Amino acid sequence: MRSFILTAALLIAALYPYQGHAADDLDLRLKKLESEMTRQTGTIETQQNTINSLKEELNRSKPKDDLAIQPAKPVEGKSSGLFGGSLMSNPYISVILDAKGYVSNLKNSQLAERGIPGFASEGSGLRNGFNVDAAELMIFAPVDPYFNLYTNIPVTKDGAELEEAYFITTSLPAGLQVKGGRFKSNASRLNAQHPHAWNFAELPLAYRSFLGAEALGGENGVQLTWLPSLPVYTLFGVEVLQGDNPLLFGDNSNWGPHAYTAFARLSFDTTDNSTFYISPWVMFGKTKSSAILPADQTTGNSFELKGDSSLYGIEAVWKWKSGKHKLTLQGEYLYLAQKGDLTENDTAGAAVNTEPLKRRQDGAYVQAVYHLDRLGIGARYDRMELFTDTFERSGAQQSFGSKPWRLSAMTEYELSEFSRIRFQFNHDRSARDGRVNNEGILQFTFTIGAHGAHAF
Amino acid sequence: MLRNFVTLFVLLMLAAPAQAAVKVVATLPWIGNLAREVGWDKVIVTTLVKPSQDPHTVEAKPSMIIAGRKADIFMYNGLDLEIGYLPLILESAKNPAIMPGTSGNFDCSKFVRVIEKHTHADRSMGDLHHLGNPHYHYSASNIVNVAEGISGALAAKDPANAAFYRNNYKNFASRVAAHEKKWRSANLAGKRYIAHHKMFEYMALDYDFFIVAYIEPKPGIPPSAAYLESLIELMNIIKPDGILVTGLSGQKEAEFLSQKTGVKVKTLPADTGAMPGTDDWISFMDTVINKLKQ
Repeated sequence: MRSFILTAALLIAALYPYQGHAADDLDLRLKKLESEMTRQTGTIETQQNTINSLKEELNRSKPKDDLAIQPAKPVEGKSSGLFGGSLMSNPYISVILDAKGYVSNLKNSQLAERGIPGFASEGSGLRNGFNVDAAELMIFAPVDPYFNLYTNIPVTKDGAELEEAYFITTSLPAGLQVKGGRFKSNASRLNAQHPHAWNFAELPLAYRSFLGAEALGGENGVQLTWLPSLPVYTLFGVEVLQGDNPLLFGDNSNWGPHAYTAFARLSFDTTDNSTFYISPWVMFGKTKSSAILPADQTTGNSFELKGDSSLYGIEAVWKWKSGKHKLTLQGEYLYLAQKGDLTENDTAGAAVNTEPLKRRQDGAYVQAVYHLDRLGIGARYDRMELFTDTFERSGAQQSFGSKPWRLSAMTEYELSEFSRIRFQFNHDRSARDGRVNNEGILQFTFTIGAHGAHAF
Repeated sequence: MLRNFVTLFVLLMLAAPAQAAVKVVATLPWIGNLAREVGWDKVIVTTLVKPSQDPHTVEAKPSMIIAGRKADIFMYNGLDLEIGYLPLILESAKNPAIMPGTSGNFDCSKFVRVIEKHTHADRSMGDLHHLGNPHYHYSASNIVNVAEGISGALAAKDPANAAFYRNNYKNFASRVAAHEKKWRSANLAGKRYIAHHKMFEYMALDYDFFIVAYIEPKPGIPPSAAYLESLIELMNIIKPDGILVTGLSGQKEAEFLSQKTGVKVKTLPADTGAMPGTDDWISFMDTVINKLKQ
């Protein structure tokens, strides 16, 4: 076999038509061909060796026709695992790098203080130039037959941070499951997603407006979910959380757990290739936040809200996947009801004024993402204050300017399942001041280590 | 209203365990077929992945999770083929009866003589399954072993019908043995093929043919134009007997190579049910061998 190929290669090399290429071009092509031949010969040899050794093994063990009397025992020495099936790693480890190049018509100083007036005072966090937010280190494994453990530690230039560390039970009866520790709330599907799984470079505007750029983020708490044994998928869940999110809840030394969520999910396949999903949810609790309004520009006074908040949401998704084509349509509506006392503090921290604050605001997004094999395109439209824009201080409606909205378009290419390049353009009018932010984002996402989950 | 709802709920939940049949959930079509072959009317089989779907890239749909919730036995290919969705389904199904280490968790690959295990593998080598080649469902000897494993697993869940399962398995094994003689007489020995993905290595072993090159330069990595160019040069020398692809991927590249070299494309079914007349495993394998012979 080998000599056959080598002879053929030599023959071809000798007869290779000289078509006026430069001599080194021909040389190059010949070398390429030669190395290819060597590689292929190697493959054949390996296969032949495997064949020989397996045949020997078979001959030694038994004749092939006695299939019926074979004992039903597993082939020995075979190891496989639950998560990565990896022979080398228990626990399973993966690292995810999310690197962004960013350009905007605005200066970095303008970007940093570009909040969404009436919702959140913080900017999006991206700066012109290179952005590497974090390398996410994920470690996970079964603890024993009763628990799985997951940790997610983003390492930033300031150090490591414990974003998530939680257990999930695996042996409770009746479709019950408990999750506890520090985790991203599953109340909303997007809230629990990690940044590398997002369809766009950032979360929808409504999430940033009500929860912050990273949604609720890691929260200490406990969760109970129930999956009843029904013909269709229905999931019910409740959570009790510490409530550290600085925008919707906030820390107070006198409070214990003061944030709660409840959610339901319903999903069924509309055809063999398509699935519908709908999920209403609510997050509610006590709020102590100074991230809603920015400091007064003339006096420097800051504003802090102490009160109660309820954030309602409903998400709907329809996915269609056939062969190499995949289309996802999704949308979500969020509604905030908030009430409390707004305290104005001077720069020394002394309260100068307290007045009642009442908010009834909403926001929504719709998006479509289409994939053909490795190439994807998508568009998203964000809009705040669709049906209600109540923001009353002492009963007086505040006016912040035109309603925030944003339009995004992205295209992405996956070189393999483990690396992705995405280009996104945003036309962002969320700052209400008539000043547009046209931003371009080039995002690189890389994964090494354990295989990630193809979650719905 | 609420009370009616609760009553309906309770009724629905009670309705499910009323059936005595063993509820089998299989990830891939051929596994579901084998379970039916061995279990007949004593099992209810739900198959998660459709024959038209690539088992490498499936998403854990909620409908799969609810199927796992209700399963008595969860059967899967193993060797990391379902790595993207299997762990998620098992964990989200909240069904202790199918967790790893229980009798309801059935890894078919445990009954297979696995080839191409890699002691060293990293992803610069492509999406390599380092536990070994997972596409063993083209191999009669391995499939018969798996069927026997299934008969044991069903018997463990339903001891009253143990003899029934054993008999069905024996019947299946002897039918395979009869067909195997025919398949061996197809004279595939010594043939040389180009393949898109590392799908047919077990079959090459069984019938002594060769896969001399792959359209994918590395598993899961699409070929560049330069690589296809070098493949054409190679094919002109080797003159292979065919280009093997499945309906799932690689057809465009295969057609291109075929045009350039005149070597015929042979599209094989990727799994049972992927083509007309491949509804059970034996007819599936019949189709595969016939396509190779042509």
